[in-house]
Parts: sequence; structure tokens; C-alpha cells
Amino acid sequence: MAEHKIDPMEQFMVHKIMPGPEFDLGGVHFDMSITNSVASMIAGAIILMAFFVLTARGQVVPNRGQALAESLYNIVDRVLVTPIIGHGGKPYIPYLFTLFSVILVLNLMGVVLAVGNLAGAELTFTVTSQLAITATLAVLTFFSVFILGLVKHGPKFLGLFFPSGMGVVGACLMAPIEMLSYFVRPVTLAMRLFGNMLGGHVVMYLFATFAVLLAGLAATGGVAILAAVPSALSFGMVIALTGLELVVAVLQAFVFTALATVYLNEVVNFGHGH
Amino acid sequence: MAMQTDTAQPAQPGQEAGLEGAHAGAAAAEHKSGGLPQFDFSWWPGQIAWFLIVFFVVLAFVRLFAAPKLGGTIDAREGKISGDIAEARRLKDEADAQAQAAAAEAAQARAQAQKVATEARAKAQAEIAAKLAEEEAKLAASGAEAEARIAKAREAAMANVAQIGAETAQAIVEKLTGKSATAAELAAAARS
Repeated sequence: MAEHKIDPMEQFMVHKIMPGPEFDLGGVHFDMSITNSVASMIAGAIILMAFFVLTARGQVVPNRGQALAESLYNIVDRVLVTPIIGHGGKPYIPYLFTLFSVILVLNLMGVVLAVGNLAGAELTFTVTSQLAITATLAVLTFFSVFILGLVKHGPKFLGLFFPSGMGVVGACLMAPIEMLSYFVRPVTLAMRLFGNMLGGHVVMYLFATFAVLLAGLAATGGVAILAAVPSALSFGMVIALTGLELVVAVLQAFVFTALATVYLNEVVNFGHGH
Repeated sequence: MAMQTDTAQPAQPGQEAGLEGAHAGAAAAEHKSGGLPQFDFSWWPGQIAWFLIVFFVVLAFVRLFAAPKLGGTIDAREGKISGDIAEARRLKDEADAQAQAAAAEAAQARAQAQKVATEARAKAQAEIAAKLAEEEAKLAASGAEAEARIAKAREAAMANVAQIGAETAQAIVEKLTGKSATAAELAAAARS
């Protein structure tokens, strides 16, 4: 154990697995190599698509797999879109469902397959613990919604930033604050998912490391055998945290999708609900 | 979590730095002192590009296959359930209507039966009354006849009484006077 450097951030490090093409575009250097991050997201997409191909059987009386797939779909359709947006939200269900299932599968892969990492085999990588990825999702979602609003409602959509019933001066004073609170949304979306994944995995790493190091210490014999007690406690914490992280993985996928639905609702039902 | 043995790894982002070499190198150095590897921006463009590719592949898959299939199945199931419920409700209504019709029919039949019974009773009573009246009339007629006969008999008897009286008187007169009274005298005497 002693030769390992304890570094909870190591699990978030991107490194190359298979070299790929590199090019510069608009002053940005793109390295399209297959990294551990890229391999994980591709694996996640394959798992996701295989799951839906296998489970979406279209039976009136579903089996367990189909019931699970339909429950996931209903979380987006019946729990989020229909109650929040109404029937006008139907066309956006595929996007929101993709958002939900991609975040969900990438979150879950980080927790479920994390067991493999304890053995030193680098099996998993939590893609959603990468700020680059959560920021991409947040920016993509936020600006899709914003641009959709401009396309659907034209310049009138910018009235969003001018609260009604405040008079011209009041509204103009409030506009910068409204704008700030509006455009901070992608930042909060990205940071919330990133922070949850990062924090959970760091804490899990630390407790797992305690468990292993203290067990090693206890193995040296003598009085050090007492270290077995905190080692066992740490191991118990790892188990408990794994359960908690499973909940967080599902919850954060739901929260991200729910907020995207709420933002979309402002566009679809613009002028109705305000 | 990864108990990585590959000690060469942390140096790699620095090698890939490209245009942002200085910055990425700084980031790698920062990482060594405990910074977040997520802020090593040299990996961002490649990761983002790959993620967008993966995301849009999944989006196309969901748009073309998963969402229509799952949503369609759910809608079809709900349609079937509500259709079945509507059908069951329709059949129940039909059964209720039939039960109501049967009940109405039974009530009508009962009323009809009651009417027939009442009519029959009335008819029987009328017949009995008619018969009774007829018999009474017959009895009255025969009674009157009998009374007439009795009166006649009484008259005849009364006439006989006068005659008997006259004959008695004649016999008495004959006995007393020795000579018989005439019939006219006897009649006058009897009448007085």
C-alpha cells in the first residue's frame, strides 16, 4: 500500500487509451484520441441503446425490463413534461429523455462499476464528474432553449428580462438582475451535477483508502491490530456511501432534466404563465 | 478510487497540451499540487467533441426508436385500458337497461294481472247481483201470486161463510117457524 500515493483526484484524470486524429479548428486544438473519458461515454451510450433495444418490446403486458424502460420514460413524460409544460411539451420529450438517460447511465456507471477500481483495474471513469461534460450539457440545453424562445416568439421573448407591473424605470433597473439570474442558469446546471459527482466520489475514495490502509496497518500485528476497528468502520461507510451515491446519481439526472423542463416551459408557455 | 500504479499518467496532459501548452503545463503542475484535473483545459475540446457526437447519436436513437416505441406502447396500453373500461361500462349500462326493462315488464304484467283479477271479481259480483235480483223478483212474483190466491181463497171462504150463515139461518128459521125463508130474505139478513 505504501507505494501508492493517496490522491483522490487521480480518478478524475483523463489519459489517452488509443491515439486518434488531432486537428486545429478556430484556434482550438482538438485531440480526438480515445481517452478513458471518451471510452466511458461510448460504453455508456452502447449500454443505454442496448438496454432500450432489448427492453422496448411494445408488449401491452410488459415484462420487468420493459416496465423499467417505460418507468424511465414516464419519469420524463408523466412526472416532468406533462405536469410542467402540458401537451405543448410533447415534441421535446425525446431531447429531455435523452438528457435524462445519458446523465443517468453515466452517473450510475461511475458508482456501480466503481467496485472494479478498488482492485486497481481502471474499469470506470465517471464522465459526469468532468466539468467539460456537464458544462457541455448545460450550455447545449440552455442555449437550445433560449434560441428556441427567440425563434418562437421573436424579440418579444426578451420581455422575459423586463418584469411587468414595475413601470419603465423599474423594469429597466431590474433587467440586468433578471438577465444575470437567467444567464447564470447554465453555470448552476453544470456546477450542480459536476459538484455532486466530484464530491461523492472523493469522499468514497477517501473512506475506501482509509479502509485499505488501516487494514494494512492492522495486518502488521501487535497493538496495531486495533486499527482493524476504524478500518471496518470505514468500509461500512464505503458501503453506505455507495447506496447514497446511487440515490444521488438518479436524483441529479432527474434534477438536471427537471430544470431543463422548467426552462423549456418558459419558452413553450411564454406569455401564458407569467 | 483508482489505485493506479501507472506513475507516468500525471505527466500526460502536459504532452498533449498543443496550443495551450503553457497553460496546460501549469494545469498539470497545479494538479500535482492537488488541483482539480477537471480544470486541465487541454482535454476539453476533444472530450466535448466526442461527447457531442455520442450525445447526438443517442438523441437520434431516442428520437427515432426509443421514444416513439416506449411512448407509443404506453399510449396504446392506456388506450386499450380505457377502451376496455368504456366497453365494460357500456355492457353494464346495457345490462342495467335490460334489467330495468325486465322489471318494467314484470310490473306491467303484475298490473295487468291485477286488472284482470279486479275485472273478473267485478264481473262475478255483477253476475251474482243479477242472479240475486232475478231470484228475488221470481220470489216476489210467486209471493204475490200466492197472496192473490190466498185473498181469492179468503174471498171464497168469506162467500161460503155468508152462504153457510144463510143456510144455518134458514135451518134455524125452519126449525123455529116451521116454514122456510126465501133465499132473498136470507141474503138480506146475512148481509145486515
